[in-house]
Amino acid sequence: MIKVENLKKSFGNNEVLKNINAIVSPQEVVVVIGPSGSGKSTFLRCINQLETITGGHIYIEGLDTTDKKVNINKVRTEVGMVFQHFNLFPHKTVLENIMLAPLKVRKVSKEQASQKGMELLKKVGLAEKAKAYPDSLSGGQKQRVAIARALAMEPKIMLFDEPTSALDPEMVGEVLEVMKQLAKEGMTMVVVTHEMGFAKEVGDRVIFMDEGYIIEENIPSEIFDNPQQERTKAFLSKVL
Amino acid sequence: MSFRWDIIFEYAPFLLKGTLLTIGLSVSSILIGTFLGLLIGLGKIIRNKVLAFPFYCYVTVFRGTPLLVQIFLIHFGVVPFFTGETNAVAAGVIALSLNAAAYIAEIFRAGIQSIDKGQTEGSRSLGMTHAQTMIHVVLPQAFKRMIPPLGNEFIVLLKDSSLLCVIAAPELMYWGKAMGSQYFKVWEPYLACAFIYLFLTLILSFVLNRLERRLKTE
Repeated sequence: MIKVENLKKSFGNNEVLKNINAIVSPQEVVVVIGPSGSGKSTFLRCINQLETITGGHIYIEGLDTTDKKVNINKVRTEVGMVFQHFNLFPHKTVLENIMLAPLKVRKVSKEQASQKGMELLKKVGLAEKAKAYPDSLSGGQKQRVAIARALAMEPKIMLFDEPTSALDPEMVGEVLEVMKQLAKEGMTMVVVTHEMGFAKEVGDRVIFMDEGYIIEENIPSEIFDNPQQERTKAFLSKVL
Repeated sequence: MSFRWDIIFEYAPFLLKGTLLTIGLSVSSILIGTFLGLLIGLGKIIRNKVLAFPFYCYVTVFRGTPLLVQIFLIHFGVVPFFTGETNAVAAGVIALSLNAAAYIAEIFRAGIQSIDKGQTEGSRSLGMTHAQTMIHVVLPQAFKRMIPPLGNEFIVLLKDSSLLCVIAAPELMYWGKAMGSQYFKVWEPYLACAFIYLFLTLILSFVLNRLERRLKTE
């Protein structure tokens, strides 16, 4: 589904990603963990090319999306993203937030977009907030709307960039619940997170990154109970 | 010395005519200047330095030279060059629009750049193009923040239209001056003008306040 080959990314002289290779299979939930500054968010943002990559290739369903001839906007309609700070559009209502991209990019009718939007809002448990503005929602509610907004494009892959890091602790659960549901339905997901519980419970595979490298990857039980690398051990001993 | 109300009343029809022209000049210059300002502001934030350069130059020149000089150049130079004759009203609209566009471009640029990068990323991640992102996500939010500085600019423009009396565009100040020189009076004509300008700017700020309040979400 996603194949990352020799991915490199530098900001000026600072090389943040140094030769990343990874594969994500269909319906797989891959959780990326690691200390801050390890490059895990940058890695995620390179997948849909919110960051222009410095070197390497990213294939999505066999298509080399780093090829200049490929329309990246088209690729992004297949790859939904959820951000740490939600990035909802504050001048639009919750439902309008969800409808915008289907209307403008997919060119579906207003009725269709609104029907689909309401369906998704029900799914994330926020149907009654359709006409509210994002500013009036709690953090957890905002993030659930953001997930619904990404799902409205019917993506094949969902990227989550620390979706619960900006939330009050009591709101983390409601967002993780929606993500679990999504995983159960067979969505292909790449999740950057500090929620080790989520990684253990929902992840099919865990990738541990540090200093721009993938240090170790394995199924959750192996990573958490039997880490092979010293750096993985050191990191896990601090966070668990 | 007594205040001569009678000459104000005598000149009232001319002052009214002048006021209408002042409004016309200001409104058309605001509209044209805002449109040009948007284009120039967008031009200035193009990442390609070569493409952005002409827009930098435009703002530098029109912001860095006095409006009065621009009025003279356009009235006695540019307009006759293209049409063969002078036209004070046309020159007035052109000068005011071009001058205001430089300031409005900076207001647009600042407004656009004040919108959090996450908004653009959220929009682009959904597959929307750069243009769609600008139109549906960034500009509507930026516009709300731009209303107070735009209001300032519109008020300045309205008052600056009085400079056009020097090229004999028959706007409000032109008739004020005419009245002053006919009767050798200072207070009556210029106070009358001052009050009318004040009245116009008050209306303008009232309208802008209403607009600002209406665009508030929640």
